[in-house]
Amino acid sequence: MKKALITGYRGQDGSYLSQLLLAKGYDVYGADRAGDTGLWRMRELGIEGKVKEVSLDLLESTNINYALAKVKPDEIYNFAAQSFVGISFDQPVLTAEINAVGVARLLEGVRQARPQARFFQASTAELFGSMGSAQKNETTDFHPRSPYAVSKLYAHWLTVNYRQAHGLYACNGILFNHESPLRGEEFVTRKIAAAAARIKKGQLEKVAVGNLDALRDWGYAREYVEGMWLMLQQPKADDYILATGETHSVREFIETAFAAAGIKLEWKGRGLAEKGVDAKNGKVRVEVSKAFYRPADVKELVGDANKARKLLGWAPKTKFNDLAALMVDAETKRLEGKKVKP
Amino acid sequence: MKKALITGITGQDGSYLAEFLLNKGYEVHGIRRRSASFNMARISHLAKNPKFKLHFGDLTDSTNLTRIIAEVKPDEIYNLGAQSHVAVSFDEPEYTADCDGLGTMRLLESVRLLGLAKKTRIYQASTSELYGKVREIPQSETTPFHPRSPYGVAKMYGFWITINYRESYGMFACSGILFNHESPLRGDEFVTRKITRALGRILLGDQDCLYMGNMNSLRDWGHARDYVKAMWLILQQRKPEDFVIATGKQYSVRKFIELAAAEVGITVGWKGKGVAETGYVKAVRPLPGIETELKKGDIIVRIDPKFYRPAEVETLLGNPAKAKRVLGWKPETSFEELVSEMAASDLKLALSEHMLRKHGFGAVKSC
Repeated sequence: MKKALITGYRGQDGSYLSQLLLAKGYDVYGADRAGDTGLWRMRELGIEGKVKEVSLDLLESTNINYALAKVKPDEIYNFAAQSFVGISFDQPVLTAEINAVGVARLLEGVRQARPQARFFQASTAELFGSMGSAQKNETTDFHPRSPYAVSKLYAHWLTVNYRQAHGLYACNGILFNHESPLRGEEFVTRKIAAAAARIKKGQLEKVAVGNLDALRDWGYAREYVEGMWLMLQQPKADDYILATGETHSVREFIETAFAAAGIKLEWKGRGLAEKGVDAKNGKVRVEVSKAFYRPADVKELVGDANKARKLLGWAPKTKFNDLAALMVDAETKRLEGKKVKP
Repeated sequence: MKKALITGITGQDGSYLAEFLLNKGYEVHGIRRRSASFNMARISHLAKNPKFKLHFGDLTDSTNLTRIIAEVKPDEIYNLGAQSHVAVSFDEPEYTADCDGLGTMRLLESVRLLGLAKKTRIYQASTSELYGKVREIPQSETTPFHPRSPYGVAKMYGFWITINYRESYGMFACSGILFNHESPLRGDEFVTRKITRALGRILLGDQDCLYMGNMNSLRDWGHARDYVKAMWLILQQRKPEDFVIATGKQYSVRKFIELAAAEVGITVGWKGKGVAETGYVKAVRPLPGIETELKKGDIIVRIDPKFYRPAEVETLLGNPAKAKRVLGWKPETSFEELVSEMAASDLKLALSEHMLRKHGFGAVKSC
């Protein structure tokens, strides 16, 4: 039986991947922060208690080496990160300690204790930052726009370096935005989906968001973890983009999510004064707040996943409208105390 | 009077830059690490200058950096401090990232925190190692990066976080992407200095052989004295921008050995291939006042695979056109002059070591 070790296993991607690997018969080991953070995801996926917890923190290398020696994983998926772009401007050092130096500690541990293991690094479309509006592929140059993106750029290249210098089977999955009902609530899609459901139920008046015109390439996380797994099953290690190739604005996501909740929105005003208003009763449901603006923003991100399509046979299936709808549906069910199948 | 703060003051570039800025009338503050071994050799000649001040500090210590910057309130910061050795970074990747990558951010963040974002200009010592496995020849400011070592990756972090603070907070923060720059003050563990140090000793019979890694590596080599001037110019512009600083000419490590050997009177010939390659004495031209037992046919260069890097950078060649156009900067020292200055300086050093040893005083420490 194959053994997989997932860092950050209780996050969105970690929990979907845990479910996928358990279904494939893997022995799954997971590391995450102390406490019950994220256990709700395991419950909703019906895999609570199925992942074996190991103590591993990317801030400290002794415990990494110990965990690798104990588990002896065949595959390692590194999802642990300070993954929120906005916070990285306030906590740039911590972000770099976890996302950049943490990967150095992990790769060095793998090189020394478990060089035969296959390694997946969760890389990100944020690396492309302000590289214009064309579709990004694996050869596009990078221009990171946040301390988060710079830390992830370090991790990306260090992964390449361990592959080229030490011959590790180490891959970067450059993932464009991937969402789901299991997204953390601080992320814009989940925040909007949750707000739409609550407003519909009369439990919330309105929601505040940042830049409405940010354009992103949004896919469904459940499908993306399949692509990550495929990257580690190839004859040789390589880097791949996972994306849908379609771009939609935050504004469109809001419209679609609210429509799924039965609320038709109209936009009034401009810039910071712009508001999303319920067409039926004139109530303000969406506001723009400067607090959610980034010091340096990324206007548009859209990816070209042709390489993954060709070499991995991977393709995204869930469309943008369906993604927004399934997220609102899950939020509604949660509010009604019904079982969610994320 | 302008104030400058230099991290890495005890290194080659720190020393040249401090001297350059003192001559321009700056008050120069330097941050040095406490060390059990003497690390002041390159700057001890500046110690008596009342405008030259040293602080103990470390790029891995945020509190310390913030306190020094708050005290000095510098107009310009030059971040030259780093774990700067490529090969060592494969053995110490975590420390290299902490010092070269996060250290740069700690500086930027301290300046921002202290409300000095609009006052203090920051120079980040970036490097041609970012280009690593080069995507085009020659390399310019628009060439994509492909770093090949934990050092290169950490320095790439430093490069991009500098741009990020410029773009996010409007700071005057720039990188000079410097190609190799050498001098008699280069650390002994760097290949150029290792070569010139060894040749002096070999000539005097105090070392038998020079052990090398990849001699086919091509590098763009300039003189550190010329390059520190470019660092200063980068911070005197109207807007903050990044610049490639290079000579635009390229030579192999092998060529460096040949020229340095010729400078001390040795003509080197090459035999064999790969790890079996050796460099032997083809001829010795006596130098005035120097006795040598070196003779034709003696092997003075061998390959030791331990000096190969896990991932090699085969070729680096910079295009300094932008620096020339915008900064009006150009290198003033030719490759031949650089090698000659280094070889002559290290022959002198070897001679003084030799004399001391001969008279029973053991070896002196170099910097």
